[in-house]
Amino acid sequence: MHRVAITGLGCISALGHDADSHWSAARDGVSGIDTITAIPPEKLKITIAAEIKGFDAEQHFDPTKLAVIDPYSQYALVAARQAVNDSGLNFENGIGDETAVIVGTGIGGAYTIDNDSRRIYGDGKTRTPPMNIPKLMPSAAASHVTMEYGLHGPAFGVTSACSSANHAIGEAFWMVRSGRARAAVTGGSEACLVYGSMLGWQALRVLSVDTCRPFCIDRKGMVLGEGAGILVLERLEDAKARGAKIYAEIAGMGLSSDAGSLTDPSSEGAARAISQAVGDAGLTAEEVDYVNAHGTGTGQNDVAETKALRLAFGNASDKLMISSTKSMHGHGLGAAGALEAVITARAIADQVAPPTANFTTPDPECDLDYIPNVARDTKIDAALSNSFAFGGLNAVLAFKRVT
Amino acid sequence: MSEVDTKAVEDKIIEIVANQRRVDASTLSLSDRLEDIEIESIDLVEIIFAIEDEFDVDVPQDRDAMKLDTLQDVVDGIKRLIAEKNAA
Repeated sequence: MHRVAITGLGCISALGHDADSHWSAARDGVSGIDTITAIPPEKLKITIAAEIKGFDAEQHFDPTKLAVIDPYSQYALVAARQAVNDSGLNFENGIGDETAVIVGTGIGGAYTIDNDSRRIYGDGKTRTPPMNIPKLMPSAAASHVTMEYGLHGPAFGVTSACSSANHAIGEAFWMVRSGRARAAVTGGSEACLVYGSMLGWQALRVLSVDTCRPFCIDRKGMVLGEGAGILVLERLEDAKARGAKIYAEIAGMGLSSDAGSLTDPSSEGAARAISQAVGDAGLTAEEVDYVNAHGTGTGQNDVAETKALRLAFGNASDKLMISSTKSMHGHGLGAAGALEAVITARAIADQVAPPTANFTTPDPECDLDYIPNVARDTKIDAALSNSFAFGGLNAVLAFKRVT
Repeated sequence: MSEVDTKAVEDKIIEIVANQRRVDASTLSLSDRLEDIEIESIDLVEIIFAIEDEFDVDVPQDRDAMKLDTLQDVVDGIKRLIAEKNAA
């Protein structure tokens, strides 16, 4: 078994076009939530989202190739380029043959599906652009990343709704840990702020009308986000041997299924994943300093997650520092765990716990320390990042400081 | 406010709720509290969708904007939305 180091971070989100600006904004409590621009607001009941701002795809890609890359793959590639560059890893000396690429997504090519539906059912067209299928498939982002760097190891997409990225990163972590892969490029990507998808989320009545205030008494729901986060993972001994910068170690993961409801979360199911992650990392409950919460800001999640943390941590839960950075980058769905893994890795590297933004008054049923509005300079030796998906699919990652 | 056919709205809402709960409409009464007839949050979301589709109105996304404790609350809220729509 190998220890697994995070040596590269890449990100694009409502908070910025690179991992550094994503982290800095989250640390400083700056929210990326604003009026939606991708869809005419008069067609929507919910008119806010955490959109990526000012993204010009032609600055990143050869315009002649763009027609075959859905925005969700574009975001994954932009983040992957940053992460690989940041890691300084050279794939040309054989490591590329043993590098895994595992990228999570909730939907895949939502833009392509939406545009295609409009053409066929709206405009009455009877033909679709020929590359639609390979463009929209939920494994397309993983394929694009393999091709970008000639990575020939195990590669696939992972899908588990809002836990997709954590499942992907967890699987990549296991591959490197077990020796199945020497290194991994992994994370999650989502680009689904399209009309059909927004109508679907509106119908579910879980979206907030004002902003995202996780754990607060006056919270109104979640705010949709988009983007991608990518991590480069490698054996800790390899990273040390080449003198790489090491943000943190991924030390454990916990996976569970509620087997209960498509939409109602279970505290017990979430608690099982949390406890497993702590144990898998060789930690005790008392040793965990920070938790990046799933923290969607919905009525149900925040109470269920609080109960889950109390179940898993017992007496140690009162000294936990917890924050939901979804209050700033929105709910990235299949990218969520990756956007949050970037933040959690930086929280450990920088020894700063990022806040829950937009915080007002805590819900009496949410009675833990959620780091309201202001980051804390603090010791973080161990941290968790929670993802709990619709359908009861739970995935929790455990991170440790490498000294 | 324009006239809204109260009886028609009541009957339709009872029918929608009965259909969602798979119970006979005669077992429901307007004074029933939603939680007492085992309407959980996801059932309510389905019921709201069916009502919006039937009456072509939009129930506010802000869940604090409309009281929905009893079936009578649902009827009153929808009647208000229909009246607002007719007046517009």
